[in-house]
Amino acid sequence: MGLSAWAKLARPLPPLTETRARAILGEEFPGRTVESLWIAADGCGALARSGASALVLCQVGDGYLARSLPWAQALASTFRDGELRLDLADVGAPRARLAFDTWPPLGVAASGRPDSSGSA
Amino acid sequence: MINPPFDVVALAVPFFILAVILEIVLARLGRARANYEARDTFASLGMGLGRNIAGLLTAGLVFAATIWVWKHRAFTVPFGAWWGWVAIFFLEDLTYYWFHRLSHERRVWWAAHVNHHSSQHYNLSTALRQTWTGGIAGTWALWLPLAWLGFSPAQIAIQQGISLIYQFWIHTEAIGKMPAWFETVFNTPSHHRVHHARNPRYLDRNYAGILIIWDRMFGTFQPELAEEACRYGIVKNLGGFNLLRVAFHEWIAIGQDLAGARSPREVLGYVFGPPGWSPDGSRETSEVLRAQWQARVAQAEAGPETQKAG
Repeated sequence: MGLSAWAKLARPLPPLTETRARAILGEEFPGRTVESLWIAADGCGALARSGASALVLCQVGDGYLARSLPWAQALASTFRDGELRLDLADVGAPRARLAFDTWPPLGVAASGRPDSSGSA
Repeated sequence: MINPPFDVVALAVPFFILAVILEIVLARLGRARANYEARDTFASLGMGLGRNIAGLLTAGLVFAATIWVWKHRAFTVPFGAWWGWVAIFFLEDLTYYWFHRLSHERRVWWAAHVNHHSSQHYNLSTALRQTWTGGIAGTWALWLPLAWLGFSPAQIAIQQGISLIYQFWIHTEAIGKMPAWFETVFNTPSHHRVHHARNPRYLDRNYAGILIIWDRMFGTFQPELAEEACRYGIVKNLGGFNLLRVAFHEWIAIGQDLAGARSPREVLGYVFGPPGWSPDGSRETSEVLRAQWQARVAQAEAGPETQKAG
């Protein structure tokens, strides 16, 4: 383990960009349309809206965890100290934490619909 | 013979360690393709170490059952007979194929095997990411017919060890393709990369131990394709590297599902159905994921034609 750490052979994982996040979401949720996308402030994750679902990407090691949950649940999730805490209801990945400046995102109306199309 | 005269796996441990070190050093020097993430490597080594401890808990039962069956054997295969070794090479490998296939296609056995696939990496340390719950899952019983046929417990143990050692070296990205004749007959790094991939096209393919011929015979063979790079891990990757989560997450998930089951059919489905089975079909099995992928491919191929027609 020490040798593997010393060797620095982990996959390079630069902060997520919108293009990269969309590409990963496309692989993880093929066929799903991303209506809106919010990249975490630290670039370590992203949250997208796809119909009634929220698609979550969260960095784990040098890879990503991907899960979906109801959009309403994502919208109502706890937001504290700049961190959105999502309950994924999954033994293999119970929670995801994403750094955002605000939540719900600016521009998302009370109905949960973005005020305008396009990505955050 | 009941006890093998030597432990082939124990003899191979120094080779395992040296090979992992060599893969890391070669990758560091840019001479081989390999990615290692420190916590992922820790999880793999921890699972390998823990497997030896967990195995002790059920070793007595497995050993006793094998001895009992062997004492009631139909034939006797002499330990020193060359034909016996040829026969057990093929029969043990065929047994492994079906063990491995069951371990992917039925949830209760997937629960014991999933940890081996839970790394998003594919390197020699991944080979050591072994199950802690294989003894409880009971798949060892699949080898009992070999004892009934007359192969001694020692001979079975040695052949199982040879198979395990063979399967170590194929857990690497450092080797591209072997010579064509070898790829045709034997399981190789290329074939096994496909097995560890989570791309829908590659799901539940290449169950082979040593010989890939079983997959070719039983319709589960899929070659590695240059146009589709393998994405490693499981359909729903884990959210961390905690060893207990790696070892037990699927067992706990089964328990949660059983707690909410409303009929014997649901109980059977949750335990013996394919991974991803649910009463209302709201979850996705490998078969469903592959069908969805095929539909997308068909749609993409039909798209340009449709446009031309329009």
